[in-house]
Amino acid sequence: MTISEPTPDPDSSRDESRAPTRRSFDPERLGLGLLLLAGALLVVVGTGMVTGALATLALALTLGTVVALIGAAVLGGPEVRRKIAPYGLLKPGMLWLALFYLAPLVTLLRNSLSTLPSRFAVKADFDWNFGNYSTAFTDFGGQFQRGFGYAAVATVLTILLGYPLAYVIAFRGGKYRGLLLGLIIIPFFTSYLIRTIAWQSLLADTGPIPSALNDLGLQPILDAVGIMDGDKILNTPAAVIGGLTYNFLPFMALPIYVSLEKINLNLVDAAKDLYSGSTRAFFKVIFPLSLPGVFAGTLLTFIPASGDFVNQQYLGNPNTSVIGQSIQNQFLVQNNLPVASAMSFVLMMIITVFVIIYSRFFGTDDLA
Amino acid sequence: MNSPNNDPLSRMSLSRRRLLARAGMMGAAGMSLPAILAACGGSSDGASSSSSGTSASGSEAPLGGGGNSLFFENWPEYIDPTEDGLVGTVERFMAASGVEMNYAETYNDNVEYFAKIQPLLGTDKPIDPDLIAPTSWLVGRLISLGWVDKLPIDLVPNVANLRADLQNPAWDPTGEYSLPWQTGFAGIAYNIESTGRELKSTEDLFDPAFSGKIGMLTEMRDTMGLLMLADGVDISTVSTFDAAANAFDRLEAAKNDGQIRRFTGNDYLNDLSTGNFAACVGWSGDVVQLAVENPNIRFVIPEEGGTSWADAMVMPKGAVNREAAAKWMDFCYDPVQAAQITAWVQYVSPVAGVQAELEKIDPELAVNPLLFPDDATLARTYSFANLEEGVEAEYDARFSAITGA
Repeated sequence: MTISEPTPDPDSSRDESRAPTRRSFDPERLGLGLLLLAGALLVVVGTGMVTGALATLALALTLGTVVALIGAAVLGGPEVRRKIAPYGLLKPGMLWLALFYLAPLVTLLRNSLSTLPSRFAVKADFDWNFGNYSTAFTDFGGQFQRGFGYAAVATVLTILLGYPLAYVIAFRGGKYRGLLLGLIIIPFFTSYLIRTIAWQSLLADTGPIPSALNDLGLQPILDAVGIMDGDKILNTPAAVIGGLTYNFLPFMALPIYVSLEKINLNLVDAAKDLYSGSTRAFFKVIFPLSLPGVFAGTLLTFIPASGDFVNQQYLGNPNTSVIGQSIQNQFLVQNNLPVASAMSFVLMMIITVFVIIYSRFFGTDDLA
Repeated sequence: MNSPNNDPLSRMSLSRRRLLARAGMMGAAGMSLPAILAACGGSSDGASSSSSGTSASGSEAPLGGGGNSLFFENWPEYIDPTEDGLVGTVERFMAASGVEMNYAETYNDNVEYFAKIQPLLGTDKPIDPDLIAPTSWLVGRLISLGWVDKLPIDLVPNVANLRADLQNPAWDPTGEYSLPWQTGFAGIAYNIESTGRELKSTEDLFDPAFSGKIGMLTEMRDTMGLLMLADGVDISTVSTFDAAANAFDRLEAAKNDGQIRRFTGNDYLNDLSTGNFAACVGWSGDVVQLAVENPNIRFVIPEEGGTSWADAMVMPKGAVNREAAAKWMDFCYDPVQAAQITAWVQYVSPVAGVQAELEKIDPELAVNPLLFPDDATLARTYSFANLEEGVEAEYDARFSAITGA
């Protein structure tokens, strides 16, 4: 979390003179130091590493860093205030993240390296037990694969469905744009869970969709390509992927719409002036400019879909189980906190790696 | 019609509460979340009672260590409320005994509830309720962990009315810690429209004709109990993992080749009535209700044997209002009062003599074989033995590996 230099100093000569003289008191160092100190203190308190009087002391120190920052701002001149302002603005967010994100993360990491002394013990003993990680991989490899596999297929499908949708709304929507966008949002008025459960009825063996497919004579074809399993579609991998696609489509379509809508159509005219056909103009101009939307949509879809277990729970079968479900089961049913923590951590790590690789390819610079 | 237990917090091991039968989906979904939130609310005594909405409880009673109050946390829709001109059991009890009772319908799920009380009882801190009614296997676990107190049985003369087959049950061999609230059986529920024939054996669940149309319960003891009984294992005395090995292998094979469509909580009702399931392992109490709407739904205790379960009242360690709890249990074990509860909840009552009393209220229900099974049927039901901690862990691990969790 580096803080980039605020607006370039208009008087550049001062920068040269500052270096030797101001070394004794650098307001930026003070601001950054206080910020990191406060964050570290809250993590220490939040993870329960210190308790009782020590915790009170740590909280008092945290408060002290806030007071010190304000004091420095009040006592220092306008120059000092300008320099430490970013750190002051960052502080509330930083403290929030330290307590509610970093501290739980550290606790999770500790738990994942712990051993339960007995099955229903309240506290796991921290003993660098890396065995939890090998259990996570060996026993739940299939669930990891399916979780990411289903999420990946669903993400591709949401792009295929969401991009044309966003395109039409952005460029051909005209006065109905608002209405069409509203239609994308409307499903959110109903709970995620209930929408997924509704698919159970629609896809039920005697429900409307399988009957319609049968009447149209599509059932043998769909069975042959593996979408249907005999005469059933509910409780198959196809139903799980379909559910994910359905549920995450708006998260793909909306960011794409936003990036398409910003495109200046004069660029297309310019491309055509240069003898580009419509198709070529789309792939040379529109599509590259809309990639930030695709990128954002992919993250919003793939990450939650990898950990989702609701669609598998209601639309899948015992052979399509995914990692989110296994983690939940280890936490709540098996009371196996260490293994569950290790699985959560592995899931987070894999997603992080995916995202890093992905953003290398797409580059995040274009993301405003 | 889906169980409100289906929310992601609690869906893994759904219990057999039939709230869906009485509450609509939306209402029920709305009910469960506040209930969970209230349940998480910790030590504020009155908070949990008001949130359960539909209940009969006139339960604004302040609680404390005082001798004349009682806090009972029970499953939703599990007692007759004051409605339609009838006075609910809680009100009748308060009027008869003078005890201020807080009856909360905030016990939604065994596993979830256990996770909630574990940090407290595990470190010798008391929890708020004086009485809770976990399912038998959890009662057994709580007893072996030493997290429950002995009941003041000597203050409950009506305990003499306890059904004979429930005395010294497998989960509480000395009978000193628990008193059943309601009981029931797991057997085979089927939709005769889909099966085309009557079922009577656990083997029918493995009939290739029903491939992909079979459901099993996520409640391990009920599913495994049936399969183990089919292997000739007496589940009421079982103590090793090996005894179940064959049944587990069979279950795994059936799951791998697609015989089993899903493992469910009480959402199996939906699959059964829509025909997604031809047959499944199910609970008797649910089927009583469902069969009213859909006469094609049948229930049978298989000839190899079915499981018997109970939700039993226990006093968490350190509960203070022992005397009031004794009064309450005595009141509910009076067949006259118990019949009122049975008439509404329609589970198998643990109180002997209810049938005669129920005849006066609801003669049709009083002859329902699912509520009052004959002796031959009762002889085929077994309750699962308390498993030793390590063995239980083996069972749970294998079962969840198969169910795909």
